[in-house]
Amino acid sequence: MTLQQPALTATAALARPARRKGKGRRDRGRLFQEIGMLAPAVALLTVFLIVPFLLSFWTAMTNQPLVPRPTPVRFIGLINFLRIFRDDLFWTSLWNVSRFTFWILPVQCGLAFATALLLHQKLPLRNFFRGLFFLPAITSMVVVCVIWGTLFQYPTGPLNQVIGFLSGGLIQPIDWLGDPNWAMFSIVLLSAWQAYGFQMIVYLAGLQGIPDELYDAAKIDGANAFQRFWHVTMPGLRPTHVFVLVITTIQAFKLYTQVAILTQGGPKSSTETVVHYMVRAGFEEQKLGLASAVSVILFLIVLVIALLQRQLLRRFDV
Amino acid sequence: MSDLAISTLPAEVTRKRSAIGSLRLIQTASILVIALVIVSPLLMLIVASLKDDRFQILADMGSFRAFWVPNPTLANFAEVGNLSGELAFGRYLLNSLFILAATVGAGLIVNSMAGFVLAWGSLRGRALILSLVIALYVIPQESIIMPLVIMVSRAGMTDTFAVQIVPWIASPLYIFLFYQFFAQLPKELFEAAEMDGASVFRIYRSIFLPLSLPALATVSILMGIETWNQYLWPILVTQTAYARPIAVAIATFFGQDSIYWDRAMAASVLMMLPILALYLAFQRWFVSSFVGSAVKG
Repeated sequence: MTLQQPALTATAALARPARRKGKGRRDRGRLFQEIGMLAPAVALLTVFLIVPFLLSFWTAMTNQPLVPRPTPVRFIGLINFLRIFRDDLFWTSLWNVSRFTFWILPVQCGLAFATALLLHQKLPLRNFFRGLFFLPAITSMVVVCVIWGTLFQYPTGPLNQVIGFLSGGLIQPIDWLGDPNWAMFSIVLLSAWQAYGFQMIVYLAGLQGIPDELYDAAKIDGANAFQRFWHVTMPGLRPTHVFVLVITTIQAFKLYTQVAILTQGGPKSSTETVVHYMVRAGFEEQKLGLASAVSVILFLIVLVIALLQRQLLRRFDV
Repeated sequence: MSDLAISTLPAEVTRKRSAIGSLRLIQTASILVIALVIVSPLLMLIVASLKDDRFQILADMGSFRAFWVPNPTLANFAEVGNLSGELAFGRYLLNSLFILAATVGAGLIVNSMAGFVLAWGSLRGRALILSLVIALYVIPQESIIMPLVIMVSRAGMTDTFAVQIVPWIASPLYIFLFYQFFAQLPKELFEAAEMDGASVFRIYRSIFLPLSLPALATVSILMGIETWNQYLWPILVTQTAYARPIAVAIATFFGQDSIYWDRAMAASVLMMLPILALYLAFQRWFVSSFVGSAVKG
């Protein structure tokens, strides 16, 4: 696909003068058609993306309630932000998503990478397994919560049974979702189970993108398997690594559904997340201004991560 | 790992050969272990949905009986699959299917038209609009929904189907994917049709759109999964059963003191079935769509 592009632009340059002839009414008709075709998308994006986005900055600086009240909405400057920064629960939620990221990166990305390496070999039934491992990725998070809600049952749920069996009864049953020390890690487990297949196929695509000639050349130069992995595979996968790490981190900051369904941020706020904090501010406390301030902070965090990704990719020269 | 390798030491040549053999063995074993971890929870869900007794389901969970139904029954599905009443999961499923079809259908038209004009149009501001679309991609849904809730409730759109469809039809990612696909098609296609006097819309409709099956499939799949799995937005804007999607309905099982796992499992299977059927039919497309979204997005 990308190979074709230079050729295309060349023919485009050649063909250009021919089009200049029919000016006037036809060109105007064409322009109207183009505007007409672009208009629905532009209108929808403006109303449902740009306007609410800009509004969020404004609402964040007001005392906008969820339900309209007779008293007018007041501009209160940065008070919402100050309130958030003074709230321990907000910092707890940031700390929790950081912990989530810290665990999910090795568990999910590491496993996805390892599986991709395994499946990249010419194993029998390779495509079958690839299709199989991708199944959770198309499973809705709500369904994943139903499944893992039963797996996590305390004290006799399947997970505890398996661990008890494998450890010969040495490890006591774990209260996966009820123990503040374990709750976030349990959320990590089910999230990794769900999204792991997606990252695996991203890694597989990355591996397939590395030309075989590079491996052949390395072999001729006498590189052993480990050296080939370290000096050919790893550099070739840099953009993939950056993508996977960035997307996982961004998703971690947006963590909501599984926490809202399974733990509601508990026990003892150990699974409170930024988005859950935002929804609570908006809908339980009914302070949409405050919630909007959280959403602005969330946007800034995601923006910083995305910019970081661009910098990293540029540094790797891809 | 090393245990297996050490057990076969004797001569230089056989050692190398058996090392490769045991590597294969380890690889195959790891694949099978992963397959077990991935598949057994899903299998457990399907098996449990065929069991009638919700206490038995939990009791069976700890053993191999979790994968076995002595007397399978569709009673749970009959119980939750109503079109009205308290357990109207049939209705919720239809709601979700309707929202899915409307969002994806409208999304394909709106986003592909925009992508086409951005790729082949003669509008002056195209480059600017394109870079704006790419920039908008950074904004997460989570950070616009608070003001959006105020907007839609002022417009009286709460608790409707429209509120779950219209806001998510146009999307920067899908406009960009279409743009990218159309831009790669040869210029001659456009030129020749234009010479014949076809209008821009005609060229899009009769020539470019029929050629864009891969892009249409990719966007349908990505958009479909995204719409199907929406959770945060519908819980904020739906209150009654009227337009409630199945994801929100399933989540309500968790609010109860004692969870009806049998019903939750059956409802979950109902929710999985449409996507699973599509996945089995178009697996290759699914995988390449997700790869495409990753590499391009």
